[in-house]
Amino acid sequence: MNSIVLESAGVEIPPVDGTGTAKTILRPLSVTLNEQRIAVIGANGSGKSTMLRLLNGLVLPSAGTVRVNGLDTRTHGAAVRRSVGFVFTDPLSQLVMPTPLEDVELSLRRLKLSKRERRDRAESILAAYGLSHLAESSVYELSGGERQLTALAAVLAVDPSILVLDEPSTLLDLRNTKLLHERLAGLPQQVVMSTHDLDLAAACERGLVIDDARIAFDGPASAAVDWYRESVG
Amino acid sequence: MRGHAHLVASYIAGNSPFHRMALWRKAVLLLAVAVLCLASPAISVTLGVIITTAVLIAAIAAHGVAGLPWGRLWRAVRIMVVFLVLIAAYQWWQHGPATAWQVVAAIVATVLASNILTATTPVDELLDGLGAVVRPLERFGADPERFSLTVALMLRSIPFVIGAFSDVRDAARARGLERNLMARSLPVVIATVGYARATGEALAARGLGDPELPGEQ
Amino acid sequence: MNRSSQSQGHKGAPVTAPAPAAPVAALRRRWGAMDISLIAVFAALLAASIAVPGINVGPLGVAITLQTLVVVLCGLVLGVGRGTAAVALYVLLGLVGLPIFSGFRAGPAVLASPSAGYIVGFAFGAALTGLVAIWAVRRRHKAAALFAAAMAGTVVIHAFGIIGFVLKGMALPAAVGADLIYLPGDIIKNVVAVAIALSLHRAFPDLLVRRRR
Repeated sequence: MNSIVLESAGVEIPPVDGTGTAKTILRPLSVTLNEQRIAVIGANGSGKSTMLRLLNGLVLPSAGTVRVNGLDTRTHGAAVRRSVGFVFTDPLSQLVMPTPLEDVELSLRRLKLSKRERRDRAESILAAYGLSHLAESSVYELSGGERQLTALAAVLAVDPSILVLDEPSTLLDLRNTKLLHERLAGLPQQVVMSTHDLDLAAACERGLVIDDARIAFDGPASAAVDWYRESVG
Repeated sequence: MRGHAHLVASYIAGNSPFHRMALWRKAVLLLAVAVLCLASPAISVTLGVIITTAVLIAAIAAHGVAGLPWGRLWRAVRIMVVFLVLIAAYQWWQHGPATAWQVVAAIVATVLASNILTATTPVDELLDGLGAVVRPLERFGADPERFSLTVALMLRSIPFVIGAFSDVRDAARARGLERNLMARSLPVVIATVGYARATGEALAARGLGDPELPGEQ
Repeated sequence: MNRSSQSQGHKGAPVTAPAPAAPVAALRRRWGAMDISLIAVFAALLAASIAVPGINVGPLGVAITLQTLVVVLCGLVLGVGRGTAAVALYVLLGLVGLPIFSGFRAGPAVLASPSAGYIVGFAFGAALTGLVAIWAVRRRHKAAALFAAAMAGTVVIHAFGIIGFVLKGMALPAAVGADLIYLPGDIIKNVVAVAIALSLHRAFPDLLVRRRR
């Protein structure tokens, strides 16, 4: 089982030119994440994205530590990122190569396969996610849902044990949101995601409500959603 | 190292001998043109004129053999015609008409020859060629993998930036600011930097682009 | 499910990085994913800047292109290393054959043409601008200092342009004359480039002064 441990991990942005006060993005928080499905909910700008970025070392805590399966994100950032896949809100910023096939191949590059093996493997991964028919098309011509599924496939191609998603369905329409949720439901990975979709959040095991740079509620997901609905009023 | 290259290509499809020729042969031919035009006048002015004129005629003939439109030839010359006149005038005054012709013909011949190369070679092939040139530099500390990643990133970013330019132009026009250099460029650059940072973050999240560490697999 | 922690050990620790093989490599090794992305996207910005129609400014309605503005901006925003790399990448791909030079020209032809000096000068201009910009952002009169950085780069680019003309056989006075036509436009563009750079430094404070991770 995976374990993500945050010990008094907080994030501050130092003042630009050494004057003025530091800006607090996330107050120091201590939490252990073991559950298979964890939802992070809260208002825009509350610190959700920053908290998720702590989990794979994209953001380092200015105080405290974050450990993923025992590895400190500060000293083992590259290793942590190998085991923690990250899906962004906007798949276009995540898809680097012009076609889905080449993008999945890019993910596979760190496995040091031959060109042929890499291509075969990328094709079979796209097939497994039902994206074979899009393999050679331009990512600019894909629909939002197709792009997000491609981004997901490219991240899962290297078999991470944890998957972090930052509002993956915010830019998707209802049908594509449903499709994405079905794909996520079947994954063996531990999933931590922030979302504005409260139905999706309620289906998780555990829910965290982030408000004003701290954890305002932590408990069963359905209770977290109720608490959040109540707090918004 | 492929990309959205087709969006910015000067390639003209065809089936001429130049289209079918391997890229390295075309590169060698181009080099030969440049060397003949530059080196021949060092031997004697007359020889320089004869050789350069021959090379120029050959380049024009090659343009025809490659099946490229003649308008393209004229366009290449037109862009530099002002400079060519200035150069010719000075050379005539200093060294006489023969040298003036040689210098101008040499410039036109090399430009034409190079245009034939780029017009008959698909961009993908050009980029693969670049990759092949960079690869041997690995032992001098270059990192071809990250270099090709950077090239791919650049190519795929061009459509985004062009899109940002046109969005911003529309927005500026809507506000009556289309002649304002600041209103036309600042939002593009802000959007571009934001995009670069989102891409950089996504690369880091996927474990790409950061320097390789020893012992990694 | 503990797939991630085995076998990686402490290998990911930066301290185990070997001494790079060459000085060039030492410079490049420190560039992370964010630097690569900025270099690539600014090179794309240069390539795109020739594709947008010129903007008509002033009473004469002279159309000016944004290309030299972006060259200077690369230095002002990215500093000497990354700024030079972005411009060099653009020039390299143009020389290889992408039609990304002004007038959609491409390939080695550009080196043979009389204006070759400018293309070569771009990288050096961006380098000097970047060098001065790193000093300039710490000055009290930041705007003036950044403008000085931009002008230093412009002078380098124009000097290369003039040398290019002369090497192709033009008389020096004619070369200087042909060059000076572009100078007023470039000075206006430098003012805009500095204004953009100041806005960017405000919007992204860690852009030029790199954040410690």
